[in-house]
Amino acid sequence: MMTNQTHDFTLAEATARVRIDELAPVSRFSLRVRPAQAATLGRALGLDLPDRIGRIAEAQGRTALCLGPDEWLICAPEAARDAIVAAARKAYEATPHSLTEISDREISYRISGPAAQELLTIACPRDLDLLAPGCAVRTVFDTVQVVLWRDGPQDFRLDVWRSFAPHVRALLEIGQAELAAGL
Amino acid sequence: MLLIHCPYCDETLPELEFAYAGEAHIIRPEDPSAMSDEEWRDFLFIRTNARGPHFERWRHVHGCARFFNAVRDTVSDRFLLTYKAGEPRPDLASLEAAQ
Amino acid sequence: MSQYRIPGKGRVDHAETVRFAFDGREFTGLRGDTVASALLAHGVHLMGRSFKYHRPRGPVTADSAEPNALIGTSRGAGRFEPNTRATVQELRAGLMCESQNRLGSLSFDIGAVNDALHPLLPAGFYYKTFMWPRSFWDKLYEPVIRRAAGLGRAPSEVDPDRYASRYLHTDLLVVGAGPSGLMAALEAARAGARVTLVDENPEMGGSLLSDPGIEIGGQPAWDWLDGVLVELESLGVRLMNRTTAIGYYHQNMIGLCEKLTDHLDEIPQNAPRERMWRVRAARVVLAQGALEKPLVFHGNDRPGVMLAGAAQTYLHRYGVKVGDRAVIVTSHDSAWYAAFDLAEAGTKIVAIVDTRDAPREDLRAEARVRGIEVLSGHTVTGTRGRLRISSVTVNPVEAGRVGDPRMIHCDCLLMSGGWTPSLHLFSHTKGSLQWDEDSRTFLPGRMTEDCHIAGAGRGLWGYAEALVDGAKAGAEAATALGRAAGAKTLAVAHDRPGTGESHKELPTDRKSSRVRAFIDFQNDVTAKDIRLAVREGMRSIEHVKRYTTNGMATDQGKMSNMNGLMIASDAVGKPPPQVGLTTFRPPYTPTSFGAFAGYHRGATFEVTRRTPIDAWAEANGAVFEPVSLWRRAWYFPQGGEDMEAAVARECRATRASVGIFDASTLGKIEVAGPDAVEFMNRIYTNPWTKLAPGRCRYGVLLGEDGYIRDDGVIGRLGPDLFHVTTTTGGAPRVLNMMEDYLQTEWPDLDVWLTSTTEQWATVALNGPKAREVLAGLVEGCDISAEAFPHMSVAECRVAGFPARLFRLSFTGELGFEINVPARHGLALWEALMQAGEPHGITAYGTETMHVLRAEKGFIIVGQDTDGTVTPEDAGLGWAIGKAKPDFVGKRSLARPDLVAPGRKQLVGLLTEDGAVKLEEGAQIVLDPDQPKPMKMIGHVTSSYHSATLGRSIAMALIEGGRDREGETVHVPMPEGVVRAKITSTAFYDPDGDRLKL
Repeated sequence: MMTNQTHDFTLAEATARVRIDELAPVSRFSLRVRPAQAATLGRALGLDLPDRIGRIAEAQGRTALCLGPDEWLICAPEAARDAIVAAARKAYEATPHSLTEISDREISYRISGPAAQELLTIACPRDLDLLAPGCAVRTVFDTVQVVLWRDGPQDFRLDVWRSFAPHVRALLEIGQAELAAGL
Repeated sequence: MLLIHCPYCDETLPELEFAYAGEAHIIRPEDPSAMSDEEWRDFLFIRTNARGPHFERWRHVHGCARFFNAVRDTVSDRFLLTYKAGEPRPDLASLEAAQ
Repeated sequence: MSQYRIPGKGRVDHAETVRFAFDGREFTGLRGDTVASALLAHGVHLMGRSFKYHRPRGPVTADSAEPNALIGTSRGAGRFEPNTRATVQELRAGLMCESQNRLGSLSFDIGAVNDALHPLLPAGFYYKTFMWPRSFWDKLYEPVIRRAAGLGRAPSEVDPDRYASRYLHTDLLVVGAGPSGLMAALEAARAGARVTLVDENPEMGGSLLSDPGIEIGGQPAWDWLDGVLVELESLGVRLMNRTTAIGYYHQNMIGLCEKLTDHLDEIPQNAPRERMWRVRAARVVLAQGALEKPLVFHGNDRPGVMLAGAAQTYLHRYGVKVGDRAVIVTSHDSAWYAAFDLAEAGTKIVAIVDTRDAPREDLRAEARVRGIEVLSGHTVTGTRGRLRISSVTVNPVEAGRVGDPRMIHCDCLLMSGGWTPSLHLFSHTKGSLQWDEDSRTFLPGRMTEDCHIAGAGRGLWGYAEALVDGAKAGAEAATALGRAAGAKTLAVAHDRPGTGESHKELPTDRKSSRVRAFIDFQNDVTAKDIRLAVREGMRSIEHVKRYTTNGMATDQGKMSNMNGLMIASDAVGKPPPQVGLTTFRPPYTPTSFGAFAGYHRGATFEVTRRTPIDAWAEANGAVFEPVSLWRRAWYFPQGGEDMEAAVARECRATRASVGIFDASTLGKIEVAGPDAVEFMNRIYTNPWTKLAPGRCRYGVLLGEDGYIRDDGVIGRLGPDLFHVTTTTGGAPRVLNMMEDYLQTEWPDLDVWLTSTTEQWATVALNGPKAREVLAGLVEGCDISAEAFPHMSVAECRVAGFPARLFRLSFTGELGFEINVPARHGLALWEALMQAGEPHGITAYGTETMHVLRAEKGFIIVGQDTDGTVTPEDAGLGWAIGKAKPDFVGKRSLARPDLVAPGRKQLVGLLTEDGAVKLEEGAQIVLDPDQPKPMKMIGHVTSSYHSATLGRSIAMALIEGGRDREGETVHVPMPEGVVRAKITSTAFYDPDGDRLKL
């Protein structure tokens, strides 16, 4: 048993300050390519791959997040999946790379509301004031590796490996209840 | 919990994102089969165990995922410098002078 | 109205009474009281008994350093806490308190017989007394000591409270909200910095709360304080009261423990009791003030003897007089002010006894005006009173000679031995301390962190100095943060500056063997104990501490360290800095385990990884086992089966028809790129060049030292693409090792690695009917024996989902592993269950998987290997690509020790009596009759009952094992020696015919 205290605070109380929503799946790929060839490959995929870690590029509903010097996370609507795979395959001979589908590897949560940033500080050791809206980073939440996106001042997303998601979700809900308690 | 500057991310970040990866500048021989048993033993097992500045490797495993090198003082636990994998071993004397 | 409460005085709310109980008796206090102040208001000083001698004790402080007034508090069911300091615990309605360390009642404690026996219980008596006879230890000494030991009584129920944690990043953290801390926070906040100000007390203000007569900038102290707090709040400063900085770690990481609910009558739902903050501050200002020292004299521990500063705090913060007739004994000016304040409030100050020959003239004049007798150049040689002080004996000291005694009646004795800067947090940083001969105390020396120390914490005294110094520290911090700041000065009226002297024991006319002068009150350490320790050879302060337990009480030496040092230094004959101070360690004050654990308890104690098929397993009664962070279905008992019966049924069903197994936890790594095959050749022992796309191979991974690290089946999906599987627990480790070689040794290779463990759900289908079950669900792949032989891989669709289909076997039966995108894992499983129904498809868990593989002699890395096993040792020599010029670990396989004869090799073991199952880990000997210690030649690594074979089977690592096949070995166990024969590890279907179906 977690505690003898129950979770029967009202949903309205809990969500007034911060909401936690699981997001519908999208197509996701881990893209690896030598930095020198990133621009060429990006053109093939219709994206201007950012070269600074944490920066995001978007075009035609496709998103590229730079996670490492030779690593990008590509997100796109599920309808665009096959086109991305085909474009990458076509470019492979001239621009060797690895495009690995990870659509099912992660679950995404949106954390939004006036207390969204505070909720994340229950387990995120980074200084979130330094994460600007429109940026994202790979980091840890509790002991779990996550990709943390900041979509707006009060609007975050967490990508969590599927098997870790129940743990992260449970922590977020404990924190949400704690914030609702107001202490 | 230490703060570590990742030379790839160019940010100083919490240790929780990093993992230690042993002594730095120990290069795997081109042709291991050409090495004597003693040479191979030294490559495998013999480490400096420095008291003071220590050249060591870290990995930003929960960040950009890159291995990089660092000079850390094993007495004070202070990082003197971090630098990218493959870059030459920095000169200790000039480093300490800069501190 | 309580007898000792002054109407309208203090910061407590006189309009709101709060009821509580102490040792079963009902009391009332006021909102804002601590347990100690509320009891003192009723004239109750006796609040506990000491640990060793069970001497009656009362509060000696009004703060967190309290060594004596420790109580058990109960805040309702499950909410009992021992060793709470009554001086810190705020009153809440219905609080139940009990005194500690007593056998019988608090006023009549039969354990106090220890006190009469004190000549028999000197320092180190444990080490001397309980040494012999040896046989007395278990039956007599230990049980008696255990019953007598322990401080308070441990809680017996599960803690029902919640505990929280937070990370916080701030420009400046100020620890301590006294005058220095307030000014530091104010200056830095005015300069625009993000500032956090913390204080362990319920209210901010520090010493100002006990000195309302001071005027700052023309305002009374408390008005000025209100104004500052309003301004700090308006500047966005995070103000945290009831928050203790417990530890100071590297690079300005500070741990804070915030108490949230212990003081509340009603606890809001889901509110945490405490919150641990992990703060990262660019700069830190330590403004923790100073701790008042007791004086060391005979009977200095009697209830009613307390620090003068504490009496001043009880008066001004709580409106409580600690007595009607007070004697002051002091070596510092500060106690004089306390005396004047108490006199003002109506306490009769019978005398001020100053150990110094010539106290400050202005203080003496003030005493004269008030009609207070002053005895300068005096010592205290004793106190009287059974449960409360009734008199004190004072003597003049002239030229070191103690003169005639004089007894003075009193009901409280207020002492001050001067002040010690509170340097605990600074010491956590390994900052050096500097001995200051003038003040005879340690001051902060060299800093190791980006830290400033302000006010009394660095030996300054008086409000004017403290305010200016705090402002200066705040301005310096702001400047260091790149913000312009200039410290302002403030006019202070009615300031209370002061100096004092530090002492060892006060001079006495008593025979030294009859002096009981306490240093560490809680641990009952006396001055005599320190001298005894030095006489018995302890020279280092660290040894003295451990021999006497001085400074090892819950206050961590806050009261006792400096007095102990003064006496040790005198006894050793070396100046204090050469004797040194013991190391202060976190936490600063006792901190609950709950606060450290935070959210990591119950269901969130640690991560529990679940597979996409976990919900089915749970719904179908699986018993789970933890495998690294995963929980995996262990077995599926049916109709009251025990584990053995369930596993036997699952094994039989799989060998006879078909079994289904959730293998989703297997690590999976996508190796992709033009140099993929070259990378695989270098990493794994096996050759990969000739493995055709569409085929798979069992791969062995070594460390550079030549020992097995991991294994798994690897499929080649294309010329440049491998689907690597790893062990469940090895997945992160293997990926890390591969990345390491790739990034740092072979950065020229065009190949990339991606973890796909969680992209795929993996279901294993094993048994002679596996193909029949699967066939109807597969599209786009001919899975006939001819078209899809053992060790094939294909991309196709299964049950309508895109899939990677492997034909492989970890059971020795016809087997398939189907990978589908994780979101479809459960649907795939259910489709297979449905298709398998006509064949009696049986879900099996990890235990059956282990048995089935052991029957075939397949190893489990980490169970049958232990980090010292080579492929040759494990019988996997065939998996080494001997023609390859190099691979990780290859050179090591030629190391002298790894080619030496007599290495432990993996073999099978069959007990003579098949009903006897060996214990995993059991040691193996050749001759059971040899003298002990026996020569052990190996150990059992795996052992199971095999339902298929109708007997037990085992695997073992045995020296030169393969050459001993057929020999009998012995396994000595507590129940007797088990005889077993060494065999091959292939117990079942050694030729692998069943794979060829």
